[in-house]
Amino acid sequence: MAAIKKLAPVMFLALLMGIVFSAFRPAPQEKSEGKTYYAAVFLNRGHVTGGTQSNVGLFKRAAGDTVWTNIYRRNLLSFGLGIWEGKSGRRYYIAAGNGLHRSVDGTKSWRVLTDWHTEEILSVAPDPIDSSIIYVSTPFGVFKSIDEGRHWEKKMTGMKKWFVKKVVLDVNDRKKLFAVGEDDVFRSTDSGDHWEALHAGLSDVQSFAQDPASPNHFLAGGEENGIRLTLDGGKTWQTAQGVPKESFYAITISPDGRTAYAGGFKTGLWTSTDAGMSWKLLWKNPEIEAISTIFVHKNDPSHLMIGTSGQGIYESPDAGKTWRCDGLQGCQVRQIELYP
Amino acid sequence: MGEVSTSMAGRVLLVLIALGSVSIHSMAQMGSSPESRFEQRRLRLMDVVSQERDRGFFTVAAKLATGRDKEFALAMLDSLTSDESMGGMFYSYMAIGTYLRLKDQLPDTLLHKIRRAYRERTMYRGDTENHWVAYYTGLYLAAQTWPNEERSQWFNGKSSAENFKESEEWLSRWMTTTATIGQGEFDSPTYFTVFITPMITLFDFAKDPVMKRKAQMTADLLLADFAAEHLDGNYCGGHSRDYPEDIINPLSAPAALWAWLYFGEPKVELWQESRYRPRYRGGWETLFGAMSSYRLPDVIYRIATDRSKAYVHTETKRVRNIIRFGREKNPPVYKYTYMTHDYALGSLQGGILQPIQQHTWDVTYRSDKPNNTIFTLHPFYSGKELAMFFPEEQKFLADDVDRYHIVYTDPRKWNSSSPYEQTFQHKNAIIVLYDIYPEANHKHIDGFFPKNLDERIDDSSGWIFCRAGSVYAAVFPLRPYEWIEEKINWRWRSADLKNGIVLEVGCSDEDGTFESFKKNVIQSKPALNSSKDDLTVNYKTRRGDAMKFTFGGKRLLNGKTVDFRAYKLFNGPFIQSERGSGVITLTDGNNVRMLNFKKATIKEWQLSKN
Repeated sequence: MAAIKKLAPVMFLALLMGIVFSAFRPAPQEKSEGKTYYAAVFLNRGHVTGGTQSNVGLFKRAAGDTVWTNIYRRNLLSFGLGIWEGKSGRRYYIAAGNGLHRSVDGTKSWRVLTDWHTEEILSVAPDPIDSSIIYVSTPFGVFKSIDEGRHWEKKMTGMKKWFVKKVVLDVNDRKKLFAVGEDDVFRSTDSGDHWEALHAGLSDVQSFAQDPASPNHFLAGGEENGIRLTLDGGKTWQTAQGVPKESFYAITISPDGRTAYAGGFKTGLWTSTDAGMSWKLLWKNPEIEAISTIFVHKNDPSHLMIGTSGQGIYESPDAGKTWRCDGLQGCQVRQIELYP
Repeated sequence: MGEVSTSMAGRVLLVLIALGSVSIHSMAQMGSSPESRFEQRRLRLMDVVSQERDRGFFTVAAKLATGRDKEFALAMLDSLTSDESMGGMFYSYMAIGTYLRLKDQLPDTLLHKIRRAYRERTMYRGDTENHWVAYYTGLYLAAQTWPNEERSQWFNGKSSAENFKESEEWLSRWMTTTATIGQGEFDSPTYFTVFITPMITLFDFAKDPVMKRKAQMTADLLLADFAAEHLDGNYCGGHSRDYPEDIINPLSAPAALWAWLYFGEPKVELWQESRYRPRYRGGWETLFGAMSSYRLPDVIYRIATDRSKAYVHTETKRVRNIIRFGREKNPPVYKYTYMTHDYALGSLQGGILQPIQQHTWDVTYRSDKPNNTIFTLHPFYSGKELAMFFPEEQKFLADDVDRYHIVYTDPRKWNSSSPYEQTFQHKNAIIVLYDIYPEANHKHIDGFFPKNLDERIDDSSGWIFCRAGSVYAAVFPLRPYEWIEEKINWRWRSADLKNGIVLEVGCSDEDGTFESFKKNVIQSKPALNSSKDDLTVNYKTRRGDAMKFTFGGKRLLNGKTVDFRAYKLFNGPFIQSERGSGVITLTDGNNVRMLNFKKATIKEWQLSKN
């Protein structure tokens, strides 16, 4: 006991220095000069819809900076982000609880493109070429606009359930889309006009990723269902090995296709380097309730960020070996992107 | 019209204020006619709210309308319009409501600040029916007030014309839906206030005569819907959504203040009564009612207050939008209420009809004491239940909900929907069954019995007899139970998974003495069949009706199946409406008021004495 007492000041000092070093450790070396990180925040602690304690919506942090700043509407419950780039400029999108928001002037001003016919907008997928084409997913199906969001048409042919958590475009073919539905992963090969179930074997699908380097390779996560994968474009599926049959809310494959990451409710962050067939736990922080989104830097695949269900953003510069809290503590972060 | 009326009211009020607030208080329940008594109550309310200090649009409006603390009120309004943390759907309708009622008294700087709020704040639309009603009412009136303005002048980047069109479309659609298949957030003692206040505001200020009339009709419908299940200020029976404080103390709910204003009941001024505190949520929305030119039709006043004959009143409502794990977006909700002069017994059919705050059934009785209700529930919670209605991931939805609705996962909560609860009511008797699956988070049922009952007897016959004044209740638990003493109530608790109660209610007018009520009830004993696959109760009421109820199966009354599908939108002596017709007929037996939502017309006539 006496020895412990003698050592206590030293231990305290060491602990304090550790905290100080941790707090002032520089952000990872950025390979993103001139770009900005954007985060869609859905909830924060103390938030009450209609109340005054909100700090949700669209946040940004310049690459190399350390502070996230709310740049648009502190009470905008935001599910997701999207961008379109072309000769006529850039269009930024926010999928939010009260509609799809679009900015054409670099996030200075915004316009809501949807109306009462659509409720929450859960995700947005702008066509990469034609700015007039936009897809959104909602609790009541996929909607498509072919006139820059002036009009919207429901696109559900082939789906029996109406809840669609996410819609994403195929990495190679802009006429192909994938929808994360309530009961399956769906694919459309005709720009959303018809959908086919891919029979992923998950009763309550929560996450989906297509391999950028191998477009017939998909991963899907479910509620208390673990992870399933296909290597043949959805013809056959298999259960991923090594991961628990827990709820996986986020799955991402690195741009080079070499590494997959997955996380969900109290799962920690899992990784796979064999196309998702086998997994190992990369990092687990007991303070993190759930991982809701995973970001892998396009030019630096070792640079990872995760958005959590209420503990903000965590960042790793070294493929998950070390992590630091990147801010937005108390926030539920639904999507992180790096945009020009 | 609204502005003219308000201005005249202000002049009358100034005279009355000169007489002193005490005399206004004493006059509030006096007078010779219902109309004059209403005038006194509304002026009294304006006077009371004008003395508030809490920051809010209603405080501002009351002070300016009465001329009390005008400088203070203007400073408060300046603060409300400068505070950038404020916005949202309630702000949306309250700010424009204040502007339209009082613009003649506001300096240009404040008028401009209110206008600017609709450009710079997000009037977030929210995710519930009441949110959307508040949001679109505010947006409709704001777009009407500032027409022909460009997209850059509005918070959502839409022009005045676009905002007006969208609001008009949704409001009209909601009104029609409400009048054909019912509200989703129906009959809520708490949220009633955020439906009626926007409708009254819309009635006062919509320039389009059709929208104005539809707002009036919807206000009529909301108030008539309340009136038929109203007893002395209490909103009785099953509710889609309510807070625990209101469920166990019905007169503390915001709806009771509207009952006081429009129905003249309860007689007491609730805000003066410590027995109905501490509970005040949402502020003084009734102020907009007091300042409005809307007048309650006489026929609705009589529906609310005529309790000379007992009656059965049934309704069909709808489940809030189911976004997943369902086969139908808005399945029907079936309501049954038995109303008497002294008590009401009311119920929903059971199951998950609303997440979080459902109140499935209760007895509510006329009383000078607080906590005048008895009911049971199963305290259910699950992420999957929430995910049926909210788009987030089910594993952390329960935690999200607990942050605001603090009691959601609490085993002792007093509001809950449960898939393991079903009811069968016939007049003043009800069977409530619980078939709780072993995987349920909480494996018990609770009952609320106020401590201030005059008598509560655990009879050797198996019945529990209760008396509150002249109202009697008999409860037959189907399984063993215990009593847990709490501050204001006895918590009745039973932990068997296949469980339930049978309840009969009576009163001295119906049953004579408490002893004779007990004697009549004891003659019948519920028969329970319970096995792994069956939970059935047979019971013969003290009036001689045979009820047979199987959980998940049929409800048989005197051998005939009760078919909920035959329920109308409204069916009772006061209100009639076929589902889908959009025609609501209100009557007090002598006069008829017909609301035709498909034609946007109101017709009134007298019934022939023959």
